[in-house]
Amino acid sequence: MNTIRIQTQDFDLAEEYQKLRELSSRVGAVVTFSGLVRDFEVDASIDSLSLQHYPGMTETLLQEIVDQANQRWQLIGSTVIHRVGELLPREQIVFVGVASLHRLDAFEAAQFLIDYLKTKATLWKKVTQDGKQHWVDSKASDHEAAARWDGIND
Amino acid sequence: MESQETGAQRLPQRIIALIKLLFFGRLGDYAQAVPATIKASTPAEIRQLLSADHPALAMQLSEPQVLISVNQMIVSWDQPLADGSEVAFLPPVTGG
Repeated sequence: MNTIRIQTQDFDLAEEYQKLRELSSRVGAVVTFSGLVRDFEVDASIDSLSLQHYPGMTETLLQEIVDQANQRWQLIGSTVIHRVGELLPREQIVFVGVASLHRLDAFEAAQFLIDYLKTKATLWKKVTQDGKQHWVDSKASDHEAAARWDGIND
Repeated sequence: MESQETGAQRLPQRIIALIKLLFFGRLGDYAQAVPATIKASTPAEIRQLLSADHPALAMQLSEPQVLISVNQMIVSWDQPLADGSEVAFLPPVTGG
């Protein structure tokens, strides 16, 4: 059971974890990751973050990433939630949860999902800081993180 | 559409399709004055057509990291376009 949601509203970590636990009595490991709105620079705090997506295409790309994860690891279920719209510092942006028989599949698949999501899903961040807005640049470190999975097969 | 007298209809016909345009992320800021639709046969032609009235946007579209999708599928700049297609210009993604 794989769930993909793009939504403006917040999500509840305990609720999402519980859903993954309850997928099957075979679930032996659940790994969850949640990403938060944070300050981008040490010496400056942001006012807010705006998340844009491409309705339809974003969900399709996330489904492709989830399909790849299911091919590479033995998973019982996964949940990917990404929020869009206006978000304030410390709010939750993204959730990735994976349920599997064993921990290694869950750990690796969760990391793969967030690494690929960050570099392949059509989502864009715009920061408001000191009343001014600017689009966030993509980070080389994110692409390096995703590239680590490219050459590895199972 | 071509006149029967000119013989133009015997030339290979380049389809000029009516395309819906979408610009995401920072590209949207440069595209605020761009019409919602355009007539073009490939994404490359769209970029070329836009360069006259929107040079700053065209320059942004020439960045190698910009991807193009047609009907939500990533394609190349020379992808032939069909009438009613939705062409989106996608800067590097920054979700997560």
